[in-house]
Amino acid sequence: MPPKKRIFPRQKVCRFCADKSLVIDYKEVRTLRNFVTERGKIIPSRIYGNCAKHQRKLTDAIKKARQIALMPYTGPTYL
Amino acid sequence: MRRYETIFIVRPNIAEDEIDAVINKTSSIIEGDGGIIIRIDKWGLKKLAYLIKKESQGYYVYLDYAGVPASVSEIERIFRIDDKVLKYLTIKLADSCDPEAIKEELASAEAAQTLAEDEVKEEASPAEAAKTTTEDEAKEDESPSETSGISAEDEAKEEEESPSEEKQAD
Repeated sequence: MPPKKRIFPRQKVCRFCADKSLVIDYKEVRTLRNFVTERGKIIPSRIYGNCAKHQRKLTDAIKKARQIALMPYTGPTYL
Repeated sequence: MRRYETIFIVRPNIAEDEIDAVINKTSSIIEGDGGIIIRIDKWGLKKLAYLIKKESQGYYVYLDYAGVPASVSEIERIFRIDDKVLKYLTIKLADSCDPEAIKEELASAEAAQTLAEDEVKEEASPAEAAKTTTEDEAKEDESPSETSGISAEDEAKEEEESPSEEKQAD
């Protein structure tokens, strides 16, 4: 049996901590778009390595943007 | 005084002056309660992420103001009654804010804007003078354009570098 390959996860850095100029704002949909799936679901922090503080702010912002129809609750609606 | 921001969506088939009437009504409520309007921004027609009252588009209006909680509840009550308004969202930005400081800020911003406008006017007049330059001067003008092209390339390189950094962050 071949030895199991050990996967070394790369050190992930919170994008918002690394780049201070990047602000989380519910009105800036362009930045928020990077953190949701195509279907509009919020991507967990373990994927992008966001720190807890920024992930929390991010989810808040996405949920606000959803309320005022800047972002979809479920997937882009095609008409 | 608290600092709020309100976004509301108006039906897309409503005339511009009726939208202005809605804005004036809300701003008069804020100012009637002694609040200050800091910014009114019309984002214009935008595609909604989902249907609201069977509308797929909406006219977004953004209001930034300092006011009292009573005026917020009054505004929202009127929005709920008003058939033109599809949806609204009010966010509290700060629990307390100094109205006088905001007034000063607004005044300074206005002064800066008028200054900038004056500068634009001043810039416009030399530009007119530049139109009457001789051919020799026109040739000289070509070289700076080349340097600007190089700087544009540098910017493009920087843009190329930044996504790679993001990939590393992943």
